[in-house]
Order: sequence, then structure tokens, then C-alpha cells
Amino acid sequence: MFDFTTVSTWFHSLLTGVMPEWLAIGIECLIVLLFIIILYATLAIILIYAERKICAFFQCRIGPNRVGKWGVLQVFADVLKMLTKEIIKMRQSDRLLHDMAPYFVLVASFLTFSCIPWNKGLEILDFNVGAFFFISVSGIGVIGILLAGWASHSKYPMIGAMRSGAQLISYELSIGMTMLVVILLNGSMQLSEIVQQQADYGWNIVRGHVPAVLAFLIYLVAGNAECNRGPFDLPEAESELTAGYHTEYSGMHFGFFYLAEYLNLFICGAMAATIFLGGWAPFYIQGADGFNSVMAAIPGFVWFFAKAFFVVFLLMWIRWTFPRLRIDQLLTLEWKYLMPLSMINIVLMALVVCFGLTIN
Amino acid sequence: MTLDIQTIEPSALHAEMLRLRQEKKMDFLVNLIGMDWGEEGLGVIYMLESTETGETLTIKTATTDRQTPYIDSVSDIWQIANIYEREVYDFYGIRFLNHPDMRRIFLREDWVGYPLRKDDKTAEENPLRMTDEPLSDTTTEYYRDADGTIKEKKNVVWGPDEYVVNVGPQHPSTHGVLHMRASLDGETVKKIGLVLGYIHRGIEKISESLTYPQMLALTDRLDYFSAMQNRHALCMCIEKAIGLEVSPRVQYIRTIMDELQRIASHCIYYACMTMDTGALTAFFYTFREREELCKIFEDNFGGRLIMNYNTIGGVMYDIQPDFAKRVKEFSKHLRARFHEYQDIYTGNVIAEQRMKGVGCISNADAISLGITGPAGRASGWHNDVRKRHPYALYDQLKFREIVREEGDTNARHWNRMDEMLESLNIVDQLIDNIPAGDIQTKRKPIVKLPEGDYYQAVESSRGEFGVFIESKGDKSPYRVHYRSSSLPLANAMDTATRGQKFADLIAIGASMDFVIPDIDR
Amino acid sequence: MEKRNYFSGVGHALKSLTIGLKTSIKVFFEHDETEQYPENRKTLHFSDRNRFCLEMIHNERNEHHCVACGLCQMACPNGSIHVYSEMVETPDGKKKRQLVKYEYNLGQCMFCNLCVRACPHDAIRFNQDFENAVFDKSKLIMQLNHPGSHLEEKPKPAPAPRPAAPAQPAAQSAAAPAKPAVAPAKPVAQATEAKADAAQPKAASTASPAQAVKPAAETPSVKPASEAASPASEDINKES
Repeated sequence: MFDFTTVSTWFHSLLTGVMPEWLAIGIECLIVLLFIIILYATLAIILIYAERKICAFFQCRIGPNRVGKWGVLQVFADVLKMLTKEIIKMRQSDRLLHDMAPYFVLVASFLTFSCIPWNKGLEILDFNVGAFFFISVSGIGVIGILLAGWASHSKYPMIGAMRSGAQLISYELSIGMTMLVVILLNGSMQLSEIVQQQADYGWNIVRGHVPAVLAFLIYLVAGNAECNRGPFDLPEAESELTAGYHTEYSGMHFGFFYLAEYLNLFICGAMAATIFLGGWAPFYIQGADGFNSVMAAIPGFVWFFAKAFFVVFLLMWIRWTFPRLRIDQLLTLEWKYLMPLSMINIVLMALVVCFGLTIN
Repeated sequence: MTLDIQTIEPSALHAEMLRLRQEKKMDFLVNLIGMDWGEEGLGVIYMLESTETGETLTIKTATTDRQTPYIDSVSDIWQIANIYEREVYDFYGIRFLNHPDMRRIFLREDWVGYPLRKDDKTAEENPLRMTDEPLSDTTTEYYRDADGTIKEKKNVVWGPDEYVVNVGPQHPSTHGVLHMRASLDGETVKKIGLVLGYIHRGIEKISESLTYPQMLALTDRLDYFSAMQNRHALCMCIEKAIGLEVSPRVQYIRTIMDELQRIASHCIYYACMTMDTGALTAFFYTFREREELCKIFEDNFGGRLIMNYNTIGGVMYDIQPDFAKRVKEFSKHLRARFHEYQDIYTGNVIAEQRMKGVGCISNADAISLGITGPAGRASGWHNDVRKRHPYALYDQLKFREIVREEGDTNARHWNRMDEMLESLNIVDQLIDNIPAGDIQTKRKPIVKLPEGDYYQAVESSRGEFGVFIESKGDKSPYRVHYRSSSLPLANAMDTATRGQKFADLIAIGASMDFVIPDIDR
Repeated sequence: MEKRNYFSGVGHALKSLTIGLKTSIKVFFEHDETEQYPENRKTLHFSDRNRFCLEMIHNERNEHHCVACGLCQMACPNGSIHVYSEMVETPDGKKKRQLVKYEYNLGQCMFCNLCVRACPHDAIRFNQDFENAVFDKSKLIMQLNHPGSHLEEKPKPAPAPRPAAPAQPAAQSAAAPAKPAVAPAKPVAQATEAKADAAQPKAASTASPAQAVKPAAETPSVKPASEAASPASEDINKES
């Protein structure tokens, strides 16, 4: 497996050879920033296109097919439209908070995005409490959504924001618990370490068998809810609240919410891939060495993206199948079903780890 | 049918109505029609029906005071009278004593005059207004004092502390320009108020200046998903009034078309229901099947939505030669696909939770609120016009009246699902033996109804759709009133949604399946 | 509502959700229903009963059948049709009404087909041109009679002098002239229509292929032509 650290150390030594270290680090930071932003935008465009196409196929339709071949340029056209649209300033709104809200959501999304290990040695934010950091920064998004609803001074956004607050905070518990299951299994909170272990000992979902599969399913449900996606799209329930908390946003401010929503979807899929499906670790079958060497030849980031998009497809499949829950049912699901289950699951995993019942 | 109308003096009206309700069990107020008889004064026609005995009764009352006409309200006897009386007040200016909410309903609150009065100068008094439409939070109640004088008092509809959310008129799930004002307590709905009239076209008023054949063009535009049945009702009403027999072929065609239209309408219902509860994929499933039906419609009537098919004494075109074959194919196709609808939505645990036990309407409420159709039958009320007052071929057909007892959203949903299959059964019984014959009975070119009052109801896709015509023997009607099947459904929203969640408001609205142009007319 | 306990409820839920997912993924791989307009413009099929825009039937000699009787105008529920006519004197001294302008407002039309049914001469019909969108609504007001067109002359009584035929157009309506080639080739009278025609001999007698498409139905409205001709003419005089 190719280790990306060789590239980064080479580049670092190249820069420090001609300039002081602080400047080198500064330049590296800039490059990383650029890399994140470009990747973020590209992924958003791919995801929006994928969502529209997949949704169309579920609905006996074709989806966008007018702008460019198979409509591939449709999203670019939409982005262009959104960039050129006026950002409407409402007299009644709390201007400062109203303008700040989309950035909170975007920043939360960026920070969580940075935690993802793309390849062996290719991580941006990677330290010993990575999983903990991931959960905490994802919580910033709630503030943005609440602010958006509050500052709009409008009734639908207000209801949407309150729903969102209740929903995100509840489901974060499940996310945290399922992550704990994985942390128990791997004995580390560092995401790169978690993936490395999976590369060495097999994917968590296999290694942890029953509790890991349970945790994966819980994660899918809770992650879907965290992303505000159907059937948990109550904060922006179109048929009830028109557009929920971002009803009063236009132009690129709306675009930020939109971007963040899709990126959160990807982050959800990527994190599921990282902690359950082995991240960049290829698929190995014990004993089949020829097969394994072929698998190992595929670069890690390809594995990673394949897994992440597989989870994303699962989430889209769920979204385009089920009706929406009601707010009380949503909370019932979390507090009466998922929470107890995840708690039991943690105990189960503790027992599994304690008695060494893991596979491998 | 020709109506036999009894006259009651306004002073004795309320007591007599109460007696009829209690002693003769006249519990269903079919219609409440405002009238302007000129010399005779302004008045109201009440059409009553007993759900126990099936007896019907028509009563009229009139007051000669054109300036300040007062008639006792019957809204305390039948709940549906509340909204009907507001309509009469709006169009005729008759004030109903003890009615709690005498506001205009279809017209703007700053409208001058009462447009359906024969002497009203609507166009002169009401220029196009460029101001916002006022929406008052208070209302007036007129009542008779102990000493007999009439007084008025202010009632507060929407208090200053209420969190009132405007659902509509531009809202994704009000299926048109319905405006509901919902007072919320958190997520819980406290009460609903309807603001109607955004698509009020005055079809009843327009019809008074059209000839009978011309009137037909407007019925398709009332409840456009029941276009066929609406027009069937009007044609039947006129045919019966002038004593015109239609050929068996036409009867067969009309019955088949009514049922196909019902299937198409319920397809739309399913689509709207699923979309309103967030299942956006299921939305397309019935649209897919409806498309097949629309193609059949298009080839036979030249229209997919507005068909203009029935005529007085017949139908516009003969059916195409491949009609029977295509309908049979469709029938097979729909039956094969039908389980998909249940698999993806109805049987789904989320949908079950969203529908079961939500928005319950009791049997007594359903009758008092005049909720007919699949929604009323969900409350255990056997109200199918095809069984109650059979028309066309329905008395010769074997079909089940689908009734459920729960009265919740789930029952309303399943009633419609079952009706789709039942309609297919009806079509299957008829499609193979359409007799030969004329598609148009000869009639005089100018249709003049003999003097009198006529009423004909059909079971449209969403309940009893009735046509009331009062004729003075001219070639245009003196007064036309359409009993809207959707107005009682929309009116029932308040009863059904109180104490439910805001999300349920949408689901209940979808399960009622009202069509806004039918409400506003 | 059947009561389920906590665990069987979960089981039921999972089962129903799985069924839902199975159904949707099945449809995912089915073919799409989308109609790709305008690419499919060539293959779009409309039956000749589709009513999109009114037109006046002209033959290749730029002749129509409209005698400007105004029955269509009277039949129209919302005044979409205005028939402008003038009285001209024929060479043998008889007065005769002639169509000047047949104005049709597509924007107001309800496509109720009453005008077509009212016409005793089959001068108008609905066509299947559905692409009627314009940027200016004044373009929706159309003149249906082609410039320079005139009433079709009766080809049958060839030796008879010309004015004889138009003098009493209403009376002759039953023996309407055979449709010239301008009417597009319609399907030959089909089984059911033949049946309807058989029941209505009058219609059958005039059944050219074009008429057979709207069978028997028009027979009753042929009559008002002669009956209602006088009110119509008053109306038209006012207009012109």
C-alpha cells in the first residue's frame, strides 16, 4: 500500500531547503486549504449530480439531460445561477446573525471534512482524539441552523430550526455511541490508527461481527438524521415547512446550506467507510494471495471513495424510498429504540473485546 | 329529480329545523342554497336527508327585507351549515342570526355588494383593487335580543397571543391556492381557519347568463379530477328536467368513464398523499399508471384533464374501436402494479405510524359536517350516491360500497385504494358488453327547462357532487348551485386536526383530498 | 390498530422497510417513463379528437365553407369567436352575406367544441397544432379565413347559374359538398362509428370519411341553422 507520507515529507524537505520553516509550513497550509476547497466543491458537484440522477432513476425518470451530455453540466449551470442571484436582505431579519448562519454550517462541514483519512498517510487533521474532535465540530452545524431559523424572524424557519435542534442533538448521541463501539474495538480515537488497524486485522464490520454490524446500521440511521435527509428531513420538510430553516435565504447563502447538506452526506458516508468499512484498506480474502495482490494494487483513495460512495448510495436509496417521520416519532425512534440499542451494543462490544471474541 | 319544496316562514324556521333533526332524524344537510327570488325576496333552500331512513326533504324560507335580511342560523343543528351560511352571506347578504362567524368567505373582505343578487352592480362597485386584501382577526355575530331587537357583537377569531402560521395560499402541500391559518402550540395544532376564494371564478353566477349547453363547459373546471362525473351530473339534471332519455350505449359509456375518472383521481390522490408525507418516489408510481389512463382519455375525448365529453342527451364522440381492448389492458396493468403502492408506502411502518389513529372523525361528526365520499365512508357512513340514489347503470351493477369504521387517515387512505380496485371491477363488468346504439339522442337545439327546481347528485371522486338548477322556463337557468364535494372536506380540517401535530395537518389534508377549484367554484 | 409489543414492533418495522427498499430498487432498474419533448416531436401521436386550436377548413383553391351565419359565435360560451360579414349583391340582384373576417381568440378559448358542433357547414374544426405559445398575447387573436379566400362554389349543379346555390345555403346544408382533398386523410369509418351511423341514417347519408369521425352527434345541431338564422343575422349586423 502506497504511503502518502513519503510525498509529504519530501515536499516539506524541499521547501525547508530554500526557505525558513515557518514560511514552508505557511505555504503548505495554503496548499492544503486550496486542496480542501477544491475537493469540497468538486465533491459537492458530483454528489448533487449523483443525487439528481439516482433520484430520477428511482422515480421512473431520466433526470437532468439537457445541459451537456447526460446533463453533466447541469450542476455547473445551477452553481452559476446561484452565484449570480441576489442575496436578499430582509428588513425584519437580524442581519448579522442571518448572514453568519450559513458560515457556521459551512465551517462545521469543512472541519469534519478535514478529519477524513483519504489514503494511507494522507490526512489533514489527524491527532489522538480525532473521533472526539469529529463529533464535537460536527455539532457546530446545529448552531448555524438554529441561528438561521432564529434570525430569519419568520415562522416556518423558526419551526424548522427548533425541530433541527431537537433532532441533531438527539441523534448525535447515537453517532457518539456507535463511534464508541468502534473505539472500543480498535482501542484508539485516532482515525488514521483506526483505519491502519483495519488494514492489518480486517474491516471493523467483519472483525467486530454482531455488535459492529448493529453499530453500522445505527450509524446509517443516525447519520441520515444528522444530515437532515429523508426520511428525517423534518427541519426542511418541504411539504410542511416549505424549506424549513433556509426558507428566507437566497443566492449563495442558500447555496452554502445546500453545499453543506450534500457534503455532510458525503462526510457521513466517508466516516462510515472509515470506521466500519476499512477506509482506504483494500478488500482481502485470507489465503487468496493472488486476489489480494490485485486488490492491493488499487490505490487506497480509490478504495476509500468507492466505499464512501457505496454508503452514500445506500443513504440515497433510503431517502428516496421512505416517507418522512413526524417529529415525535423521530424522537421516539432515537430515545426509545436507537439509544437503548446502542448502549447494549457498547456493552456487547466490550464483552467481545474483553473475551477476545473478535474475528482475527 | 324535480324538487318538491316546502315553504317555512323565517320566524318558525329554527324550531322546525330542530324538530326535523330530532324527530325525523334529518341529520344530513345536503345543501344550503342562497336564492334571490326578486319580488318574493331573498331566501335559502335547505336540502335535508336522513341517513337512517333515506328520506329527503327540501325546505325554503324567504324574507322580503332586501336591505337587512335576517334568517336564523341552523349552524347549531348541522355543523356544515356554518360554512354554507357564510357562503350565502357572501353572495346574497343574508345575515344569519346566532351564526358565530359572519365573515365573507370567497370574496375579499372589502368587496362591495352581494354579487349573486339579481340587482347587484358588481362591476361598477368593485373596480380592480391594487391594495392588499384585508384579513380580519375578528368577526361579527348577529343575535336577537330578549326584546326582539337585533344586535351585533364582535367575536375574536384569532387572538393576539396566538402563533398563527399561514399554510397557503402558496404552499407546496395545499394542492392549490387554499389558505389555512393554523394556530400552533409548539408543533400541536390548536385550530384551523380557512381563507377561501383565491380561485373563485363565480361559475354559478356566470352560468346564469349562459345557455344550458354552454354551461357544460364550466363543470369540468370545478373539480378537474372528477370532470367526467361533474359533467355527467349536470347533463343528467338537464336531461331529467326536459324528459330526455339517453340510449343504453351512452349509459354504458358514461358509467365506464365515471369509474375510469375515479381511478385517475385516486391515482392523483395517492401521489399527493405520498408526496405530502415525504415519500417522493411513491409519488411517481401512480402517475406512471395514470399516464396510461390519460392516453386513453386523450384518444377518446381529445383531452387529458378537461374532457368536455358528456353532452345533453349523449356524449360528444363515440368511443374508439380499440377502447375496450385498451381499458382491459389498463385494468390488467393496474392490478399487477397495485401491490407496489402498498409495498412502498401503505404497508410501510413509517406511513402506518403517520396514518393510523391520526385525524379521527367520528361518524356523527362526519354526517353533521357533510363529509361524503371515501373520506365520509371512512367514518362508517354509508353515503355512496351510487347506492343511495342510483343513477346511470349503478343499480344493475354488482359492486361493494367500501366503508371503514375508524375514521382516521389510514381508513380514508385505504378506502381510496380499495375503490380503485372496485372501480376496476365495475369497468370489467361493463366493458365487454357495451350495446350498440346512438351516442346522441335527438333534442331541440335550444334547451329550455320547464319551470321548477331540479337536483341531481352523482358520486364524484371525492363525494357527493350535486347540481341544483332553478329554472323559470328560459334558455338560461335562473339559479345554478353546485354542491361541492370538496368544501365539506376542507371545512372538516378544523375538526380533524385539533390536537394533532403540524405534520399531521398536512397528512390529514392530503387524506381529505380536496380540490381547491371545487371548493371555490 | 393491532397492538404490537416492543420487539415484534421492531421486527415488523424492519420487514416493512425492507419490502419498501426492495420495491424501490426494483423500479430503479426499470425503464424510464419520461417523454423527451421536443426530440419526440416527430413521433408524438395525437388523436384527431384533440382540440388545440380552431381552424377554418380551406381547400386547395383557397375556398372555405363558412357562410358567416354566426352560429358558432352564438354557441361560444365566452366570446372567443367574432364573425364579421358584409352584405354583397350578387350579379342577379340578390343580397347575400359574405364572410369578411373570422376572428378567433385562442387565449380565451375553452376548447369546448360547441362551435364545431354548431356549424351546419363543417367550415371549422379543431386541429392538432399544440405548440401555441407566443410572447405576445395579441398574437393569440387569429384570423381564421385565409386572405383572399371565398366561399366554395357548389360544384354539383354545374349548368345552373352561380347565384342559385348561395341563395339558400341553410336549406342545402344537408347535402353538404363532398370534402375536397384539403381534409387530411382520416381513417376510414371504423366499426363502431359505422354502427352509430347505421342507427342514424341521416348522418350516414352525408358520411364522407372526414365526417364519419364525428358521427351522428352533429345531426341535431344541423337544424338550428335554419331556425336560428334570423337572430344570428341580427347579431352579425350589429358586429359589422
